[in-house]
Amino acid sequence: MAAPSRAPIEVVLVYQSLLGIYGDRGNATVLTKRLQWRGYEARLTGVEPGDPLPDTGQVYLLGGGEDAAQISAVKALRRDGGLERAVGRGAAVFAVCAGYQIIGSSFTVGEHDEVTEGLGLLDVTTTRGPVRAVGEILTRWRGRDGDDALLTGFENHGGYTTLGSSATPLADVEVGIGNAGDGTEGAVSGTVIGTYPHGPVLARNPALADHLLQLALGEELAPLPRPEITELRRQRLAAARRR
Amino acid sequence: MPTITTDLTTRSRSATERARFAVAVASGRLAATASRLLGRGSGTAIKGAVMLRVDPRALPQLLADKHLAMVSGTNGKTTTTHFLAAAVRAGLDPGGKRVVHNADGANLHGGITAALSDRRGATWAIIETDERVVADLIRVGRPEVLVLLNFSRDQLDRHHEIKALGRSWRNALAAAGADGPIVVANADEPLVVWAAQTARQVVWVDTATTWTQDASLCPQCGALLLRTQPDETGGHGGHWRCSGCELAQPPASYRVVDGRIVDPDGQVLEPHLQVPGAFNVSNAACAMAAAAQLGISSETALLGMRTVTSPAGRFATMRFGDTTARLLLAKNPAGWAEALPLAQTREVVLAIDSAAADGRDVSWLWDVAYEQLAGRTVIATGPRAQDLAVRLAYAGVEHRCVPDLADALAGHAEPVDVIATYTPFQRLRKMGGV
Repeated sequence: MAAPSRAPIEVVLVYQSLLGIYGDRGNATVLTKRLQWRGYEARLTGVEPGDPLPDTGQVYLLGGGEDAAQISAVKALRRDGGLERAVGRGAAVFAVCAGYQIIGSSFTVGEHDEVTEGLGLLDVTTTRGPVRAVGEILTRWRGRDGDDALLTGFENHGGYTTLGSSATPLADVEVGIGNAGDGTEGAVSGTVIGTYPHGPVLARNPALADHLLQLALGEELAPLPRPEITELRRQRLAAARRR
Repeated sequence: MPTITTDLTTRSRSATERARFAVAVASGRLAATASRLLGRGSGTAIKGAVMLRVDPRALPQLLADKHLAMVSGTNGKTTTTHFLAAAVRAGLDPGGKRVVHNADGANLHGGITAALSDRRGATWAIIETDERVVADLIRVGRPEVLVLLNFSRDQLDRHHEIKALGRSWRNALAAAGADGPIVVANADEPLVVWAAQTARQVVWVDTATTWTQDASLCPQCGALLLRTQPDETGGHGGHWRCSGCELAQPPASYRVVDGRIVDPDGQVLEPHLQVPGAFNVSNAACAMAAAAQLGISSETALLGMRTVTSPAGRFATMRFGDTTARLLLAKNPAGWAEALPLAQTREVVLAIDSAAADGRDVSWLWDVAYEQLAGRTVIATGPRAQDLAVRLAYAGVEHRCVPDLADALAGHAEPVDVIATYTPFQRLRKMGGV
């Protein structure tokens, strides 16, 4: 494949120390490798609280974390303002689990369900659900066909998320809980995507990884068949459907 | 998890109570024998479970006349317990008959009960204790010494917050007050330090830990922790303090420095252990500090610890047909960070499962730096071998996927190092007869 002559594509991994509990750095590994495999130059930038978020990234990744970490992360991100600016200039944001919750309008944490204001990048609100959602999850990505439409991952969250009018679900649940046991999973608004499954989710779902890269690059990418991933998807789909 | 609510006043046991205990012991033995005959394993856990069903007070009764030392933490507790038991044998029990030790790592209520019932006349009980059982055993067992090693994310599908475990330790130590144990605690681990603060006395050990990824926030106030940079070459683990409150790494009386142990008298001791890895020097430093609380000198403790070779199969070399394999256990990202650099063979076998004991979620694979295996060949095995294969593909590591454990181990001309998660590790021990 011809290597396009352009500046490196920058993937920004946000606050791995706070939002990285479920192997979420794997999503960054997957995106940068898939760019490199196609001949693009990719740069992975890890940012920790206190360091400014770069204004040069094309994709920003947030992962899962415990309650206290979630609160620290949302405070630091609000102070920084870089994530809002990134969305304003059309960069892609992909937020998983606790990351998904904090980019919404509000979420609750702790034994007393204190309400914390989110970043408001997605029109969703999260409150504590009746049972913790833990296990393999299988969903169907809206607007997609065939094998690419099946999204596999592992969900582990106590919060349940309700979508407002300006967010649309990412997918519909076949196995698992998803947003709130209401049959929907995740939320999309423009170039911002929030979702519960980790796994990490982009390793198990290369079509979703490439979709993010296409959002970031503004161009179509050719498929990149890897037999290991095809076989892993076959196994995880079968495991989810056995539940 | 059964909670034992009875307190420890066994002196005035009635005849009925004594009879109940005797029935419990007999029933437990019967269950263990049945389990062995059915080929279901050693029968240790079932024996203890049956004993506790018949007599819920069996555990406090078995501990009533013992000097108890406990070891807990996410990683290293089996090896550290073996170290401490060996040190106690060397220092206090040359005949080896007066120490009881749950050597096979069965560390829940049932396993501990069963181990204690195997040597009821023992004077010292050296007990590996699951993190969830620590608070209960502080209460009913009145330990003299408690070793707290580390806290790391593990089995997140079951333990959603490691801080809750730390809080249970802290509360139990506070409740025990002046009757509580002397705690030997890893000063490098913020959550361990916070948990141990309520103990009547703490002996701090600077273990030169390099793994910091599971402790970003202060367990006391939630602010970010600040660290001096750890030296990844194993020289020093760096120091930590909170950015928002006074919690900070306490000054230690035992220290690991450049692979040696410095004791409170300033003696610099060369470990010369038979088990590998910098983390086992850290474990030995903790065991040495615990042994000192039982009156055992640093040198004598080390002489004992040097006899430990393959605690509960860890680091054991075994034969599978024509293949010679060394077996390493790694249960979580912190454990893998320790185990991976030890795997030095040209071909390496990595065995992954997601049974309950392994954690059903294998997302942690993406937090392990498998990239360091580039240039060697990995054989991915176990029920979740395919997840590992994808991880290795993205890490640029050459690999073959052989899900069946026996097939993966078969036909290696050169020795291989094997790193396994808990369930395949136990299966491999059985297959290799260790």
